[in-house]
Amino acid sequence: MTDIPAFLKRMLSAPGLSGHEAPIRALIEETWQPLVHELNVSRMGSLHGLRCGSGPTPRPSILVAAHMDAIGLMVNGNMDGFLRVTSIGGLDPRVLPHQPVTVHGRRDLPGVLVSPPERLLPANVTEGAVPIEYLLVDTGLTPEEVRRLVRVGDLVSYAQPPFETAGDTLVGHSLDNRASVAALTVCLDELQKRPHTWDLWAVASTQEEVSLGGSTTSAFSLRPSLAVAVDVTFASSPGCPSHKTFPLGKGPTITWGPNIHPALFDAFRDLAERHEIPFNVEVTPRHSGTDAYAMQVVAEGIPCIVIGIPLRYMHTPVEMVALKDITRAGRLLAEFIAALDEKFMDTMVWKD
Amino acid sequence: MKALTQKLVETFSPSGYEAQIRAVVRAEIEPFADEIQVDALGNLIARKGQLKPGGSRIMLSAHIDEIGVIATHIDENGFVRFTTIGGVRPHTCLGGRVRFINGVQGVIGAERLDDLYKVPTFEQLYIDVGRDSRDGHPVRVGDVAGFDRPFADLGKRMVAKSMDDRIGAVVLIEAMRQIKDTPHELFFVFSVQEEVGVRGATTAAFGVDPDLGLAVDVTGTGDTPKARKMEVSLGNGPAIKVRDGGMLADPRVVDWMVQTAEKQHLPYQLEILEGGSTDARAIQLTRAGVPAGCLSIPCRYIHSPSEMVDTQDVENSIRLMVALLSQPVELK
Repeated sequence: MTDIPAFLKRMLSAPGLSGHEAPIRALIEETWQPLVHELNVSRMGSLHGLRCGSGPTPRPSILVAAHMDAIGLMVNGNMDGFLRVTSIGGLDPRVLPHQPVTVHGRRDLPGVLVSPPERLLPANVTEGAVPIEYLLVDTGLTPEEVRRLVRVGDLVSYAQPPFETAGDTLVGHSLDNRASVAALTVCLDELQKRPHTWDLWAVASTQEEVSLGGSTTSAFSLRPSLAVAVDVTFASSPGCPSHKTFPLGKGPTITWGPNIHPALFDAFRDLAERHEIPFNVEVTPRHSGTDAYAMQVVAEGIPCIVIGIPLRYMHTPVEMVALKDITRAGRLLAEFIAALDEKFMDTMVWKD
Repeated sequence: MKALTQKLVETFSPSGYEAQIRAVVRAEIEPFADEIQVDALGNLIARKGQLKPGGSRIMLSAHIDEIGVIATHIDENGFVRFTTIGGVRPHTCLGGRVRFINGVQGVIGAERLDDLYKVPTFEQLYIDVGRDSRDGHPVRVGDVAGFDRPFADLGKRMVAKSMDDRIGAVVLIEAMRQIKDTPHELFFVFSVQEEVGVRGATTAAFGVDPDLGLAVDVTGTGDTPKARKMEVSLGNGPAIKVRDGGMLADPRVVDWMVQTAEKQHLPYQLEILEGGSTDARAIQLTRAGVPAGCLSIPCRYIHSPSEMVDTQDVENSIRLMVALLSQPVELK
């Protein structure tokens, strides 16, 4: 069995911003190796792990995608040795100033993201969050050293180490969406001792934070019968409206909305109830903000669902998840996959 | 190169109505292509070369459509109301001239403006083609027009409407002309409907199904007074795209382009564009995914009727393109 908290903490410390996922992919590859029958990497860099089912060929397959890319920053200028940056993915500018970061130049350089003093900023930007174009990374190096070691396009990631709280939660950056990669790994662990009829494609997808590009292309090449996106969702905390958030530690969410096949939703909900796995129903009326949005319209169309893991303080360096939500999401996936039989696709119908 | 540029920018072909420019480009490339086809969306696709050991199927894409306007209403006094095709902005319109693809010319006027210091909305603008009634009006609802502005050769620099992306088409045509020996099967795509959401390249990429893709398009610069901060300058060489508003270029493709430029001693700049995207995004996301990047030509005043490029940047872009396509590609 994989030591999930240890694996997750290692993942949080591995670089892997959108479009540059090689380091995190290597770590997941090493962990999944004993859990799957076959591993390959797509042209977009997504990792595909195949667990073959026991049914007769040709077997239906289910694709479960958890994106492994993380948000971060990219160098787009050099001002006398201080680096200007732009965002990769949706960063919250309120939390950026004074964060420790790592600049991935010709070698990794520690640095700090700084904001100029308020009275030196232009008058129109002194209220509210300082826009990212005014922030700089200070590496403590001379302008000549910076010029030699860093170029436009180099990546900058958060540098805070993850930690476990006393309350069985984990805090760190990139829990969006490495928490879901951990849940998918729990599912693979569970399936070691459970027979399943269908093939499972476990996919650690790339570029979700910028273009949903990894899942779009993996779903096209693997053509599964069903697709599941596992991603984080907003957990409740004081000040957050309860109708838009879900309690931390009370189970994953099962998503409902036009991005979701209603029969697949029913199947997941019934299964969770049967196995007494706690869950909440999450309603997403438009873009689910996950890989499922892209996968649903790949080729002739694929029935999709989203399983959400509640997470507090999304897109900050102190994202927080409850470890038991990860375990439950993984177990829910494993139970669902183990229950898929040769007749399952007959239930994927529209009740017109 | 300048004569070809002038010929391409003086053709009027807004998105969806690329027939005229397609004919002009087709006549230019016919001698150098092994095969030419036009797909269902109107993309002009020219194949050149046969796969040899170490070769790949490579798609190159420059879009031949341009931004423009489309007539929505003709009033009783002959004034034409219009809406936009692609990213036209009202502050570049006032006092400008347009030319409909049937040749009719007009000027853009405005209703009386309450505040001269505020940019008018498109609802306040109209086109005056010199008529005073609806009768026998040479423009019908649905007719499209491009911005009318002559090509200017400033020596070191060239200015025209639709440099975006006719200058990319110039780079591809010149590269086609100059490439004598290639291990690759090259697909030169002169794509349509880029300005309305990279739609031509989407189907062309699916149809070509390449191993590798490059777009050739313009990019912004940060070298004008109080410009948005950007490291790209006119005259500092072709720009190799790292990212834009729609994609992250494949880092292996970026490295291949950088190393080729360095090996050829060609100047280059690394580009990070905050808004907008190119055909490369469509190539990257087609089918099971394609390693894709973009060779960008730095351009000032993009989406105005006076887009400016540097002649040396264009020449060096052609050299870089020829160098990229003449050798086997090994992405690492």
